Amino acid sequence: MSTQPLTTPVAAPPPPSEGRRIRPWSVFERLRGMLFVLPALIVLSTFLIYPAYYTIRLAFYEGSFNFGFAHYLGIDNFKELLTNDKDFLDASKFPPSGALINNLRWVIFYISLSLIIGLGLAVLAVRVRYERAVKTAIFVPMAIAATAVGIIWLFVYSPNPDTGVLNALLRGFDSGFHPIAWLGRPNLVNYALIFAYIWASVGFVMVVLSAAIKGIPAEIMEAARVDGAGEFNIFRRIMIPMLSLPISVVTIWLFINVIKVFDIIYVMTGGGPGTSSRVIAFTMYEETFLNGRPGYGAAVAVIMLVVLLPVMILNVRRFRSEKVVA
Amino acid sequence: MKRRRSLIASAVALAVLVAGLTATAISAKPTKRSANSIEVLSLWGGSEKDAFLKVTAAFTKDTGIKVEYTSARDFIPEVRTRLAAGNPPDIGILPRPGYIGTLAKAGALKTLSSLGLSNSYMAGNYSSGWLKLGSSGGKLYGVPAKANSKSVIWYKPDSFAKYKFKIPKTWAQLLAITKSYKAKGLVPWSVGAGPSQSQWTLTDWFENIYARTAGPAKYQALFTGKLKFTDPSVANAAKIMTQIINNKYVLNGVQGVLGQSFVGGITDVFGTSSKAQLYFEGGFVGGIATGQVNPNLKAGKTIGDFPWPTIKASLDHPVVGAADFAGAFKDTPEVRQFLKYISTGAAGKIWVSTNAVTSPNKKVPASSYPSPLVRAEVKQLATAKTFLFDGSDLLPGAFGDTWGFALQDVIQKPGNIKSILSTFQGKIQGQF
Repeated sequence: MSTQPLTTPVAAPPPPSEGRRIRPWSVFERLRGMLFVLPALIVLSTFLIYPAYYTIRLAFYEGSFNFGFAHYLGIDNFKELLTNDKDFLDASKFPPSGALINNLRWVIFYISLSLIIGLGLAVLAVRVRYERAVKTAIFVPMAIAATAVGIIWLFVYSPNPDTGVLNALLRGFDSGFHPIAWLGRPNLVNYALIFAYIWASVGFVMVVLSAAIKGIPAEIMEAARVDGAGEFNIFRRIMIPMLSLPISVVTIWLFINVIKVFDIIYVMTGGGPGTSSRVIAFTMYEETFLNGRPGYGAAVAVIMLVVLLPVMILNVRRFRSEKVVA
Repeated sequence: MKRRRSLIASAVALAVLVAGLTATAISAKPTKRSANSIEVLSLWGGSEKDAFLKVTAAFTKDTGIKVEYTSARDFIPEVRTRLAAGNPPDIGILPRPGYIGTLAKAGALKTLSSLGLSNSYMAGNYSSGWLKLGSSGGKLYGVPAKANSKSVIWYKPDSFAKYKFKIPKTWAQLLAITKSYKAKGLVPWSVGAGPSQSQWTLTDWFENIYARTAGPAKYQALFTGKLKFTDPSVANAAKIMTQIINNKYVLNGVQGVLGQSFVGGITDVFGTSSKAQLYFEGGFVGGIATGQVNPNLKAGKTIGDFPWPTIKASLDHPVVGAADFAGAFKDTPEVRQFLKYISTGAAGKIWVSTNAVTSPNKKVPASSYPSPLVRAEVKQLATAKTFLFDGSDLLPGAFGDTWGFALQDVIQKPGNIKSILSTFQGKIQGQF
């Protein structure tokens, strides 16, 4: 019954191009169409498809000084990365460690905390009178370059309580407190970095979700209230389901962000102490440019692509399905 | 009619597009700078950069050739990408002979003799030790531009006077001072070896200890790939290092070391609100401390330096030092003039007059150094019985950094020294 109104309009209009296609000059018409797509296609292939092809191919070579295809290695680079490179993945002990595992930490904590904090702020901000001021304040870090974010948080985390706000704060609570080098401890450094990055991106989550909350029809909320639903139930049973689409959009955005995270790590720790805060993208940079192993670095990039691919496909699928809904 | 016009329009558009693309492809070739200028890349910023700009200003005044200075603290990626793009700087002044060797082997650098600086001319201005460091495969590639001793420890003379400490001559005496400071409720040391890219200070600690415990021959062998890092002498030196770099004696403990940068560590000792008493790093600390950190410092009263003490009496105190070498990526008349200029005593005199560097050039007399801090360093360099080049800078490629990371692990887990060293050996195996 409900499918009826949806299917009819799709089938009803006659395909407009059908009649024209018989005409002889439609070839030029099509050529012109191609011509319009051409610039985008050229830009895309020079800056995306060709480099991607080049990188994937390079991943099977040792690579020369000038990033040329020298010394074919087959899948040796990948083998080395996944089985023998303890800085990338060390599965010999429990819990496993390495750049890949660090990135997993980022995925779990960065995405979930950004979403929870962002959603919480969005829900609360709608309820206060000075909403705009609050939102602006929280959104501002979003406009700061990642490098600057890194430098700001370097100060925050400094072990010297004169510059390190965080240590000064903790000392305020407990005068005998011994300052902590947040970025100097291998067990803390990843979380310290993740938190700094959350600070920088939570504003985006909040703005998107708060716009979506405003899009929820007031009648539904009112109806629920009339029916006796409490605020928590409204949040859980009405807001969350109605926000599922924007939440998934934001999640994908956060995911892509987190897999390619690099700048903040480069500025704040350089992958250290030791190698304890390296992630996939940082390893790629380190191997390619610092250690001069272009093929190996390319293999890391390919792994990054493989991790991202399913999410991108999911994303594109969702865009398509959205079109049908609209 | 209309159809034909659209066809023509399409064809024209296509032609324009193709032409445009080929045009961009052609113009994407490396841009050529105006004829009368050169680009010099190095890693200096702050007071070191200002000192170099004084030298280039004098060069420009003499020759009319402009010098564009590019600063890249992280110089390896910068050089690598620009070489791959076919657009390297004209000259790079780089601190690592090991990396100069890597570049020379890849054919990226020009030999000095092909640039008109003959071996005999160079030998007239520099000692053979320096020239050997700037060479690869028997050919000379780098002009030794500036040098620093890395075997000095920075202290507060007034504090030493107050507590009646004498300049320590042995490691045991240095440890005794460390303990007395601690007993007086003061923090003896500050070490900055943390974010980001300050792990090299630990490599300098290690090198001074290694040279004094294993001797120059083993030192040379270790850093040129002839001795393994799993040799017991390496673990021994690393262990001695943790006699000072531990939670007891350094500001904020080992975690504080890993959370502090090189300049931050200097500030901890010589800044306006001082928290620690001693700092170890090369001669350049003096310029940074008095120039950037705290201009009120008085040499000989609130800041001073003494040579690294001996550990094994039989091995004396070899001087570990470092230098930056100028190498040419291109051969142009301007490049030739510039290299010739910085290899002269005149350029060296201008450079050292800034107090930022010492010159390896024989034609720069000790009297050209204005500051007593630098003069002490020059004397140490000139009178050293044994001079050893900074070992981590001799390691190939970026292994100087990797070695620093390994030492960061060492100070955190002194119990795991052996396994950390064997992991590192596994990485560097076959890389020389």
